[in-house]
Amino acid sequence: MEEALLRAVLFGTPILLASLGALVSERSGVVNLGVEGIMALSALAAFGVALGAGPYLGLLAGVGTGVLGGMVLGLFAVTLRANQFVAGLAVAALGLGASGLLGKRYEGLPLEWTLPEGGMALLAFLLALFLHHLLYRSRFGLYLRSVGENPKAADLFGVSVDGVRYGALALGGGLIGLAGAYLSLAYRPSWTDGMTAGLGWVAIALVILAAWEPLRAVLGAYLFGLLFFLQFRLQGSVPIPSEAFGAMPYLLVILVLALSGRARAPKALGVPFERGR
Amino acid sequence: MRRLLAFLLAALGLSLAQGEKLKACFIYVGPIGDAGWTYAHDLGRKKAEAALPWLETRYVESVPEAQALPVMDRFVREGCQVIFATSFGYGEAVLEAAKKYPEVIFAHATGLKRAPNVATYMADFYQVYYLNGLAAGALTKTGKVGYVAAFPIPEVKRHINAFTLGVRAVNPKAQVLVRWINAWYDPAKAREATEALLAQGADVFAFTEDTPTVIQTAARKGAYSFGHYTPMLKFAPDHVVSGQIVHWDVIYIDFLKKVKEGVYTAKNLENVDYFWLLQHGAVEVGADYGVPINPKHVPLLRKAQMTVGGKKVAVYDRIMALLKDMSSPKPTFDPFTGPIKDRKGVVRIPAGRKASLRELLTMEWAVPGVVGDWPGEPK
Amino acid sequence: MRLELDPNPRPQKTFLAYALFLLLAFLLLGALFLAYGVSPLEAYALLLSPLTDPLGLAEIARRTIPLLLIGAGLSLAFRVGFFNIGAEGQLLLGAVGAAYAALFLPVGPWTLPLMFLLGGGLGAIWAGLAAWLRVRFGASEILTTLMQNYLAYYLVVYLVAGPWKGQMVFGFLYTDRFPQEAQLPRLGETLVHWPTLLLGVAAAVILHLLLFRTPLGFAFRVQGENPLAARYLGLPGGRLLFLTALISGLLSGFAGVGEVAGIHLRLLEPAQISLGYGFTAILAAWLARGRPLLVLLTAPLLGLILAGGDALKLSLSMPFRVVDVVSGLLLLALIGAEALGRHRILWRR
Repeated sequence: MEEALLRAVLFGTPILLASLGALVSERSGVVNLGVEGIMALSALAAFGVALGAGPYLGLLAGVGTGVLGGMVLGLFAVTLRANQFVAGLAVAALGLGASGLLGKRYEGLPLEWTLPEGGMALLAFLLALFLHHLLYRSRFGLYLRSVGENPKAADLFGVSVDGVRYGALALGGGLIGLAGAYLSLAYRPSWTDGMTAGLGWVAIALVILAAWEPLRAVLGAYLFGLLFFLQFRLQGSVPIPSEAFGAMPYLLVILVLALSGRARAPKALGVPFERGR
Repeated sequence: MRRLLAFLLAALGLSLAQGEKLKACFIYVGPIGDAGWTYAHDLGRKKAEAALPWLETRYVESVPEAQALPVMDRFVREGCQVIFATSFGYGEAVLEAAKKYPEVIFAHATGLKRAPNVATYMADFYQVYYLNGLAAGALTKTGKVGYVAAFPIPEVKRHINAFTLGVRAVNPKAQVLVRWINAWYDPAKAREATEALLAQGADVFAFTEDTPTVIQTAARKGAYSFGHYTPMLKFAPDHVVSGQIVHWDVIYIDFLKKVKEGVYTAKNLENVDYFWLLQHGAVEVGADYGVPINPKHVPLLRKAQMTVGGKKVAVYDRIMALLKDMSSPKPTFDPFTGPIKDRKGVVRIPAGRKASLRELLTMEWAVPGVVGDWPGEPK
Repeated sequence: MRLELDPNPRPQKTFLAYALFLLLAFLLLGALFLAYGVSPLEAYALLLSPLTDPLGLAEIARRTIPLLLIGAGLSLAFRVGFFNIGAEGQLLLGAVGAAYAALFLPVGPWTLPLMFLLGGGLGAIWAGLAAWLRVRFGASEILTTLMQNYLAYYLVVYLVAGPWKGQMVFGFLYTDRFPQEAQLPRLGETLVHWPTLLLGVAAAVILHLLLFRTPLGFAFRVQGENPLAARYLGLPGGRLLFLTALISGLLSGFAGVGEVAGIHLRLLEPAQISLGYGFTAILAAWLARGRPLLVLLTAPLLGLILAGGDALKLSLSMPFRVVDVVSGLLLLALIGAEALGRHRILWRR
């Protein structure tokens, strides 16, 4: 039983980090569908740097790449006020593609020094707590939420909507970068094309499941991790085909969502802010 | 004078022809990158190219089955004379292309259907897995051996069965717990499946997946493991005991030489089928090249005992003796020698003979000792 | 410097915006090629090479078929506000339906139409499920359709590894080959299954007419542009979403039928069937700006990119991922240009 909980946490950590990253920007009103691509590119950057300069610099590189990814999305979603959904999808494609292309030479190389998984998991949990505090008990959090709910009013109050959104995207991007670095430096210390394995999309889904709240995101991510692990733990012990177990985590996400009622999204989510409209 | 000229021209032509390169092209089903199936084929290709100065090669990776035919069209247009298709799923495309291009030679890995210009080839591990199983049976303290498996096709089932037969030969009460990840390449699933097996008490691991994830995960908890497909000792030098290593180059060099010499043509491949094993040097038992058993584990395996024909024998000696036998030109031992019942009690290989090639290639049943889901198990 | 909405953008400015962004994308792509280690000129030539010979054109056509069908449906869905990212799963369900009709029902001249009916139907139901979850429970279809993709994947694996595994496939993960009556005719020696292509063209045209020439289409457009106004007008939002989902799922299902009846001629591992068409079709639909007729242009364009990516893979051993880079950059360039064109730059605080 403890094993299952441990796996839930360790496998859930990258999902949690990516979820928190998407959550932060969505709270400010910007949908981030580019998580998968940003995560992949960050994983590559982290791995590449770690090969030469050690895991901690690699971690930094991953976070930095994530921030960069968030800013690119910001350029399109905030400054240019383009369609956020499509911009996100494009960033996802670009990130996945660029990482696959540039990462070719790193495929299959072993990594000598890795990051401690437990430490990273703890960090992720602490970050969730920090985010909760930031959103609900700090001034920046107040600005962030107001920009996501009613940007017009926030603008009237003198809050720089664009500035806050960029900040949220940078912070969120950094978290996503952290998730990518975890994958390539701690969970399975290596690089291969496609190593994000769809976790970015799961993270986006979990933001909705968590009703955009960091603490619920923790539960959601660990729940998914638990279910993913259970698919192998229960296989063979119960006379259900292995494929059914594989489908289990995804099915349960749908069920939980259906049963938890209408999730309240930030009102201005996905709508580019145009002053004077 | 004219005759001399003709002779000179003929000699020139002949030497030119001999200087001509043979172009062989390879279609891979996955990326070369990560220590698995495709990586091994590409290694074979590179070694063949290095060993045969008249050989020129090309390759394409990650070709989905739907695209095999267009890729072969292009290859033929570029002048490929021999095409190697390295996945079962390319079978139909290969046969179609063979009809379209009767002068081109095709070779289909793990294939079953042939044609005048289509040969099939395979380097199989079942003997190697048996020997690995002997070591696993000796090393497990909990009596539970873990196997992380990709998809339930006969090749994988055959390997798991051979492995389990080996495990049970040493420890008749041991179990091999199988978990299917339903993917050829998926490090996350491989990791979690290994963790699940560890949680259930497995302390030795073998697997079919295209990365060393299982080895790395098992090593974290101090569990032993066996490398798969390529030398994986370096991923956990203290925990990798042995493994299965493939040498596709042995087959490639043999085939291409015969094509060059004219022994194989585009008309006589109907019965050319390589099912090459230890004795041909196409596969190797080992954690690394030339390291059949990791020296760190040899003392343990010498101490472990097993019963063979009523007498007590050190497991290490048994492994090495069988290895010697099966690597010799006329091996006498075969893991699938009857009587063998499957885990439901049905006799699958009767006493007095060993499994036929067909039985090996279409194996769907599971031997006793295999525990877990087994899709497609005959009733 | 700030950007402000421009109520009356001049066409020259829009054109300039597009030119600028496309140039940037072009250069960035070239830079990435260089970083990978190949000459950008060579890479670009290869990207466009499928246009230069019949083999390449056939490859473009083969890729276009599912993109056209799914893209047309998605252009409608996105218009109405139903963000269907489950096209991959609906395609797989379509393949399942086709396989059932081909292998387990008596065959005859009715088989192919029956396959389309069953496959399309399953795809429609699959998408409809997500719509129902949204209308009834408020569950975001982005999440549900995404999860459904995984469910569809496992369903297909279960079928080909278990109850539907073929008798004559030596234990591998395939069903038996479809009988002749269940195979779509192809164009010459290529893999282009032209009946499905015609179906795609018809779908694009019909949807376009539906959207712009019928009252239902008007309702769809209002619902998509301004759901609040739609409600005030008394339009049945839930029912409109549901209908959209059914149509989009139907077309994605058709694409799945086409793939297994036209190319593979059996049901197999899901990763070999869907090949990322669902995602690429989203790009095709978006590039068509919600006009189904334009998918007739954008689908072949993306087909070209995919076929070009193959050429890059073949000749330069570039990873196929490069097509993601190209489509990503193209998309960013286009939405950036479109957005820039809508604004004017103010050089003051």
